Amino acid sequence: MDLVGDLLKTLDQMVNDQFESIEFKNFLGVPLTLERGRFYVVQNALYTSNRRDCWGYVQGSAPLAVKRVIWEHESDELINDPRAGMDHYALTVKQGEVIGLKAEDFEKAEVPAMVRACFYAWHHIALRSHWLAAYTSSHMLERRNNGKIVKGGGMSYRVGKKFENELGINLKRMISLDVHVVADTEHSENISEMFERYVKTTEDRDLVLQGARDSMAIDRAYRGALGYYMEQIH
Amino acid sequence: MGTMANTVDATWAELVRLCNEQFESVPFKRLLEAKFSRASAQHYSIQMAYYVQNRRDCWGYVQGSAPLDVKQLIWHHEEDELIGQRAQGKMDHITLAVKEGEVFGLTADAFERTPRLEGGEVCFSAWIRLSQRPWLEALAGSAILEMRNSAELIKGGSLSQRISAMLERDLGIPMKKQINNAEHVVMDVEHAHMLMQVARKHAATDSARNALLRGARDSLMIDRVYRGHLADMMAALPQGG
Repeated sequence: MDLVGDLLKTLDQMVNDQFESIEFKNFLGVPLTLERGRFYVVQNALYTSNRRDCWGYVQGSAPLAVKRVIWEHESDELINDPRAGMDHYALTVKQGEVIGLKAEDFEKAEVPAMVRACFYAWHHIALRSHWLAAYTSSHMLERRNNGKIVKGGGMSYRVGKKFENELGINLKRMISLDVHVVADTEHSENISEMFERYVKTTEDRDLVLQGARDSMAIDRAYRGALGYYMEQIH
Repeated sequence: MGTMANTVDATWAELVRLCNEQFESVPFKRLLEAKFSRASAQHYSIQMAYYVQNRRDCWGYVQGSAPLDVKQLIWHHEEDELIGQRAQGKMDHITLAVKEGEVFGLTADAFERTPRLEGGEVCFSAWIRLSQRPWLEALAGSAILEMRNSAELIKGGSLSQRISAMLERDLGIPMKKQINNAEHVVMDVEHAHMLMQVARKHAATDSARNALLRGARDSLMIDRVYRGHLADMMAALPQGG
């Protein structure tokens, strides 16, 4: 039995299955308008902030070698991604300019109720789970964005294509989505390497699977919530 | 604005006072009045490597809960600690602690084989719990330990300086060979200012400033307990050799 090989195949299947879920299909099926696009971009900045919280918590509980990998990972996210010349939060705000958003639109943005519940759920896993589960929970969201793994493209690619096809905004101008198409492929591969090192027993594998399942469930709820709120914008 | 600056300054002054007072506590005095043998220096060095690892845990949690601009400060802070300044050829602080162990006759293997002190384990758990409290308390809980190690703020020398002087006195090992202590004597002066930097931006209310003080006080209490356990450990070890 190839413990880690089989595990990685399962994780790959799980991220592909996300796009077959009713929540993902609904979210990706909501026709974009400029206002809905603005809502999504602002919400995506809040999502990015939540990712920074969770990776920090995971860094707190992980073994030293994993802390270092996360620290490197957070360099792109929090400090400066050389692909973009800025951190990923600033990148999202900058992207907003293309659709008429200003910095204050991000600052005064509220987290809608269902989204807030999802953010707290991800916090809970990151803070309270065994580090392998917590680590996998955050990792899966990048794996789900990895176009080499997800047939038909990861989430950023598909949303970017929606902006292109439905609002006529070229993916290259949606700089955050465009950077994430590449960045999350690299991030998910670097982070995935840690499974080779730390998953040695079926108990380890089960912790990884638990983190993956829980995070993917929250991710479906989150995308379902975004789809719901976007449908309310006319 | 002037009032805000004054109250933040007053909070800072109180934090500095608390750090200095730490050295007047019984556990600190017991630790700093001890005499190092080779065996106790070895055990102290190993336990301090665990302490450094616990700091990495706590700073991670603090980074998780802090606002974005503070996360960025912590990320830079952790570069020194977790990664090292590669451009300047500086090692991370855990590698540095293991490397310093060589002057006490320790191998890397000894760090892996020696368990954590039981009392240390309890203190580490307490610090982790503190680091998961609301972010201003959590931040102060971690940052105060670096203020307590800043030679600029502590009259009579920081903890690293004092321990280093004891090792030189008792074992004849000059400070420049105690590479971990020497690094912290310099770095913690710089790191100690982070709390003030954050306070100026984020501690605009009495409630926020009280949160800083609460986190700092609780951390210093754990620190006293921890140093007491280290003093016990040293007292229980053979004095010769």
